[in-house]
Amino acid sequence: MADQAASAGAPLLSVRDLHVRFPTERGTVNAVNGVSFDLYEGKTLAIVGESGSGKSVTAKTLMNLLPRTARVSGEVTYDGKDVRALAAGKVKHFFGVQMTMVFQDPMTSLNPVKKVGEQIAETLRYHLGRSRGEALAEARELLNVVGIPEPARRVSQYPHELSGGLRQRVVIAMALACQPRLLIADEPTTAVDVTVQKHLLDLLDGLRRDRGMSMILITHDLGVAHGRADDVAVMYAGRVVETADARSLFFDMRHPYTEALLRSIPRIDDPVHHRLDPIPGRPPELIDPPDECAFAPRCVYAQADCLGGVPTLSGLVGLHRFACLHPTGTERGMAAMAANRAAGTTAAGLAVTDRGGGGG
Amino acid sequence: MARFVLRRVALLAAVLFAVTFLGFSAMNLLGDPLVNVVGVLAELDCEGIEAGLVEDTTVDAASRDCDTVAAAKAQYHLDQPVPLRYVLWVGDLATGDFGTSFQNDQPVSQVVREKLPETLILLVMAQIVSLGVAVPWGVIAAYRANRAFDRGSTVASFGLLSVPNFALGVVLLYLLALRWQVFPSAYESDNLGGLVYSMVLPALTLGLPLAASYQRLLRTDLITTLQEDFVHMARAKGLPPLRIMFRHALRPSMFSVVTVFGVSTGALIGGSLVVEQIFGIPGIGREIVTAVIRDDFPVVLAIVMLVACTFVVLNFLVDLFYGWLDPRVRAR
Amino acid sequence: MNGEDRTTPRPGASRDRRASRQRLLWRFRVLRLVRPTEVPDDGPAGDEAAVRRRLGPAFWVAVAWLLTMAFVAVFAPMLPLADPTEVAYSGPRESPSFDAWFGTDALGRDVFSRTVHGARISLAVGGFAIVFGMAVGGALGIVAGYFRGRLDQAVGFLFFVQLSFPALVLAILITATLERSLLVVSLTIGILAVAPVGLLARASTLVYAEREFVAAARVIGARHGRIIVRELLPNVVIPMGALTLLGMAIAVVAEGSLAFLGLSVAGDDAISWGKMIVDGAGLRDLQNATHVAMFPVAVMFLTVLSLNFAGDRIRQYFDVKELAF
Repeated sequence: MADQAASAGAPLLSVRDLHVRFPTERGTVNAVNGVSFDLYEGKTLAIVGESGSGKSVTAKTLMNLLPRTARVSGEVTYDGKDVRALAAGKVKHFFGVQMTMVFQDPMTSLNPVKKVGEQIAETLRYHLGRSRGEALAEARELLNVVGIPEPARRVSQYPHELSGGLRQRVVIAMALACQPRLLIADEPTTAVDVTVQKHLLDLLDGLRRDRGMSMILITHDLGVAHGRADDVAVMYAGRVVETADARSLFFDMRHPYTEALLRSIPRIDDPVHHRLDPIPGRPPELIDPPDECAFAPRCVYAQADCLGGVPTLSGLVGLHRFACLHPTGTERGMAAMAANRAAGTTAAGLAVTDRGGGGG
Repeated sequence: MARFVLRRVALLAAVLFAVTFLGFSAMNLLGDPLVNVVGVLAELDCEGIEAGLVEDTTVDAASRDCDTVAAAKAQYHLDQPVPLRYVLWVGDLATGDFGTSFQNDQPVSQVVREKLPETLILLVMAQIVSLGVAVPWGVIAAYRANRAFDRGSTVASFGLLSVPNFALGVVLLYLLALRWQVFPSAYESDNLGGLVYSMVLPALTLGLPLAASYQRLLRTDLITTLQEDFVHMARAKGLPPLRIMFRHALRPSMFSVVTVFGVSTGALIGGSLVVEQIFGIPGIGREIVTAVIRDDFPVVLAIVMLVACTFVVLNFLVDLFYGWLDPRVRAR
Repeated sequence: MNGEDRTTPRPGASRDRRASRQRLLWRFRVLRLVRPTEVPDDGPAGDEAAVRRRLGPAFWVAVAWLLTMAFVAVFAPMLPLADPTEVAYSGPRESPSFDAWFGTDALGRDVFSRTVHGARISLAVGGFAIVFGMAVGGALGIVAGYFRGRLDQAVGFLFFVQLSFPALVLAILITATLERSLLVVSLTIGILAVAPVGLLARASTLVYAEREFVAAARVIGARHGRIIVRELLPNVVIPMGALTLLGMAIAVVAEGSLAFLGLSVAGDDAISWGKMIVDGAGLRDLQNATHVAMFPVAVMFLTVLSLNFAGDRIRQYFDVKELAF
């Protein structure tokens, strides 16, 4: 990431201090709290976090897909232009052409009553003014590109006639139809068969490379980000808690949550009966959160000062940044862990055993 | 698709059998069928009169009546055993022979032919009114769900659904025809334009409450649909809101409306009896009410059978249309 | 005999979809008021249960109106009112005044008194019809839903056939063959209620027949009759009872329609709102004596609205949708 400060010019997409709140009858849900990041042309940013971490809401904010009740503040600029002003309808051919999105569940993201060919062709006809015939021909070509066999037959089928994996390929073809510069993929493989996941991810990555596209890959699985993302942002309770280039993040992580996420996924080189470490506790409450580090109740490093206020993301945008007072892999972190082991409990009351959870 | 249609056809046949059987029972099993058809004439001792055994001062009239009785017996095959009688009678219905009214000697089929167009125009116009009102109403209410317009329209539709249609008809007649004189108060048939114009009020009377219930169904379904991923996908594709609403969201949201379309036509037919009365439209509904009051059973029976069978077939067609609307239904 | 032979097919997707259509049709036929489920404004779901558990002041206004109607219906003959059938009491088509609050009709009869008396037939027929529908339809539905199999299919087909007739047309077929007495009219409208109520009872029975307490009763060897009366009936009665007022609203309108057509209870002393409205709906009356039609229209509208509104609130209060739909 050190070289990125020098990389060509302004970022394609820049997000600064994004806040999203939903007023509900039980109180305001603070879904996103001050998220900032940059994405450069041709790069992939992975946003990683558990459900409820605000990663999907962030993506929907970028695409202007939030319900009307959402209160959004902050700055989102695409290619130097304010996206939310663009979204207000001033520019007709922006979404779909410049920036588009692939959703989690291919079962529901295709219109059940329209043939898949028409759904792809529709974008081409609306944005690029193609005739019906041209658009359908292009749709066939696109299905071919995303690796769907017999595209000529598939275009005139309905979504329910395709398998989940094929449907997600159709969704990808639909998203790519107008050659967008930025693709947001929101958990694109969570809902499909495990056996198909890798194929789809490699397909997306390959297409991104071929077309020089930028991509935001949203996932709960750090493993998915590995090898595909240039940069990674880890989100927790609506905040980015650690962000860095992929290499630094995977090999030199600082935030206990990132560490815990990595420990909770199986690895191919683990011994056969290796025990996975689930993250203790539940995701945080987003209504009226207490003024403390949101991860503290689940963190094996937690100290008294963690409960005294929300730690801020240190460092400059574009560098390895993390929001933790006792970062793992540092002396402060070691000391915190040692103290908690000695006490048998963290400052937030989580029991710590010798093999439990963290332990550097 | 073939199996889907086949199953529907089997059900259609069974229901048609049951419906005609009910009508048949009403005539043949509830009391003496001859009395049901010709009333008091059934008590005439025709064989006696013919043989000159009965002294009757008005022999001419009596023998005329006896002809009527004989005709009725022939028409409803009363000499045959009951099962055969049913088969023959259904055969008559199927070939368009609905019998003759013994009150005014008119063939029922002719009565129906004369009166049916008026009722059909009324029903079609009522459905046009209700769909024409309900679709924009539902779309706007769903698009701005839980805002002022939507809340107001919930109250309005609740009110509309609580007005009995004869009351609504009388109120509309008073306000729009008598007070403000926007529409004619009575039926006109001079030319098609005048006919349609004079049918606007009746169609509103029938269509507005129906529009209210369609609107509620459509609104609920649309709100659900608008939260579906494929609508988000359409937005991510950059399509404009109106296009998404009409090209993507509307059709998958029409299931409830289409499902109740057939049933609601039944409600409209019931309503048309009343509305034709209010606005003096010489249609089937008015005819059947008059026939009931005159005790003209052949006409009542024929019209009820016609209406019920039409209604059954209509619901069958709606089922098929449902299959078109949702390709997933066809697969089964 | 004890339930093992009663195979309960695992409902597949198509069955679900069909079932949901059936429910929709049912809601449309019975309630006509298809109340949209309250959709929270896109955002995360709110706490709806609390909202549902309140009846609200408007509910009590509606109930007060209904109680007033019921009271005047019962005690009409004892109230100090003009004779509703006495012709030319104070001149024909008189406007509302202190003497005749709602004015008089074309024959000089007191409209207020007639409106009050009209509540008798409307409410009697409405009440009887829904009780009849619940007794017969409920019994058929519970038995069909409990025993399943061929019996269920037969009863279901009967309901389907009944619903194949437009309701008012079926009513006419019945009234055409019989004398139009209070009992016959009530029965006719009661029969119309059989199929819709039966479908509801069957649906709720299906839900409960698979619950543990019914299985438990069966295991300890309880007889079918006992299970139906002791275990199923109390549970099925709740959703049916919650819909009583909504059903009654429909019955009142149906009676009004028949009366409007002159096919309700026969006789001059049989006063009904529908009959009063048709009496005042001639062009001359509408033009010069609007009050003759409009007062019964207003009273009838308020009554039906109150029935619908209170009924809908009760339905929500008991959360019937989850039980039956």
